[in-house]
Amino acid sequence: MIWLLRDFDFLAVLLRAAALGLEALMVGGIAYLLLVAIPATSDADVLKGCRRGIRRAAAAMVLVQTLYTVVDALVLVGSSGMSAREVMTAAFFYAGATTILVSGIIWLAMHFASRWVAAAMAPLALILVGSAVSMSHSVSRLEHSVFLAAMTALHHLGTAAWIGAMPFLLVSLKRAKFELEQTRLARRFSNMALVSVATLVAGGLGMAWFFVGSWSGLYGTSYGLLLAAKVYLLLVMLALGAGNFLIVRAADRAPEKLLRRLRRFGEAEIGLGFTAILAAASLTSQPPAADMAQDRVTGQEIVARLHPAWPRLKSPPVAALTPPSSIENAVEAHAFGGEGVSDDLDRAWSEFNHHWAGLVVLLAGLLALASRLQVAGWARHWPLVFAGLAFFILLRADPENWPLGPRPFWASFSQPDVLQHRLYALLIAGFAVFEWGVQTGRWKSPRAAMVFPAVCALGGALLLLHAHAQSDVRDEVLTEIAHTPLALLGVTAGWARWLELRLPDRRDRTVASRVWPACLVLVGLILVNYRES
Amino acid sequence: MKLRWLGVLAVCGLALALPRYAHAHAMLVQSTPQAHATVQGPEISIELKYNARVDATRSTLVLVAPDGKTAPLAASQSGPGTLAAKAQQLNHGGYVLRWQVLSSDGHVSRGEIPFTVK
Repeated sequence: MIWLLRDFDFLAVLLRAAALGLEALMVGGIAYLLLVAIPATSDADVLKGCRRGIRRAAAAMVLVQTLYTVVDALVLVGSSGMSAREVMTAAFFYAGATTILVSGIIWLAMHFASRWVAAAMAPLALILVGSAVSMSHSVSRLEHSVFLAAMTALHHLGTAAWIGAMPFLLVSLKRAKFELEQTRLARRFSNMALVSVATLVAGGLGMAWFFVGSWSGLYGTSYGLLLAAKVYLLLVMLALGAGNFLIVRAADRAPEKLLRRLRRFGEAEIGLGFTAILAAASLTSQPPAADMAQDRVTGQEIVARLHPAWPRLKSPPVAALTPPSSIENAVEAHAFGGEGVSDDLDRAWSEFNHHWAGLVVLLAGLLALASRLQVAGWARHWPLVFAGLAFFILLRADPENWPLGPRPFWASFSQPDVLQHRLYALLIAGFAVFEWGVQTGRWKSPRAAMVFPAVCALGGALLLLHAHAQSDVRDEVLTEIAHTPLALLGVTAGWARWLELRLPDRRDRTVASRVWPACLVLVGLILVNYRES
Repeated sequence: MKLRWLGVLAVCGLALALPRYAHAHAMLVQSTPQAHATVQGPEISIELKYNARVDATRSTLVLVAPDGKTAPLAASQSGPGTLAAKAQQLNHGGYVLRWQVLSSDGHVSRGEIPFTVK
């Protein structure tokens, strides 16, 4: 199990993402309860649903924050020889303990229906935000830390009162018995969301001014690219939110139909919002762009890398690649300096893999579009193309490991890149089987149909965090310039497919049904043009 | 029910596929000695400046000698974002200084600085 513990370093990023998401849910739930639900309704069922949601988020936060704090502590103890006592007196440990304690109190308090108890949750929510801010970039800055901490707090509060509160709106709309009450809840939430978006954007701009500092910081660093990804997600959410804004204002005319449409758009907003929170977790582990003045990629380098070129259709032989080192050396080198240096043949191998993967995805996208346009009945078998892709990844992604290389199969799992590639291969294979069953009508279950959007959306979200650790920071940024659009297209495809399956209006479904195949085609084109030099 | 468990497994699988590379959070902006520098032994002063506040008592410096032996160095805090140490009795040859710092927001970052002693 020791080799698995080496990968716990990255588990901390996942737990951080979960903690940020749960913080948004808890604080958002409390804001929704106090500012929307209690003033707008007297329906006990709605209020009970809100309190239950906050309780569940609080219970999950206790678990996740405990795990996060323990994992962080284990990584420190394991890698530095520090004692447990030294670790448990560190500032991050106190912040984690505060979050656990406050979440526990909130969990307990939400068993009581009293409005005074609900009001008492407001200062606790602020303490939660404060604890999260204490573990952010802002407090560790050498300059302007107070201003940046304030901006971070505003950003967290805005995110919570919009994205974190939205699930509670959907729960309330389902539980509220009368359309008038549903409309009232939706309107109050809409007003709160308007203020939240402004707060979130203001906090974000304040942080971006110091953490990014320039346009070259935005496009030339990993931090800037992740921030640009968050901005894209925000713009898509605002587009959906604008639709919901108009629905709420027109809800009196056809409440049942319009409110159902609002719920569906709300689901996609929530998914995209939590994807942005995942990107935020990744941002917390990146150095701010403003600190990367020496290692920025220039506009000319980006243009040269992305310039269209014919794909590589012939692979170098395995024997011509750089001889692999032992697994122990590879893992240690990865921990301190990233991958070893690749030569031209290693890059040619990787490019060949990406180009053929791109051709496969391009074919799948075109077939899916043909199926949607009902051009050819056999086109509905397009998911099977992905089964071939899964086998291709398993075989060729890591040539220094089994089956092509000398490193043993099980031991090679200690390398994070290998673990990622094999799990992606497994998931792509599973996705191919499921979606083929759905497209051909063999599986009629609505839940089976959700596998495709779920895997697409979640895979795209986690791809935002995917990093091929390179020894050169600039090469890593150039790689991320290709990966980030792939991730965003995956997320967009997933939620477009979700809306196609869930929207009540046929015209809306038709629009969504064109978006996700187009995303697959674009993913294919990006992969076909992928280069590493 | 089966689909729900498959969904949970898929999420866990995707989660485990999460890449490990948490970039250096506290970044080294200046070092003495500089990377690949040649310095005069047998005693050298070490100073590492970072872009963020660091916790010196929970940060480590390890010197890897030309023969591969490692020796920890006592690190002190000479500023909110600066670590300092002294290395003594250094023979001629190539050394590597491995650092690991805990920034005040709880993130760990690591790096190494190779240099030569003449």
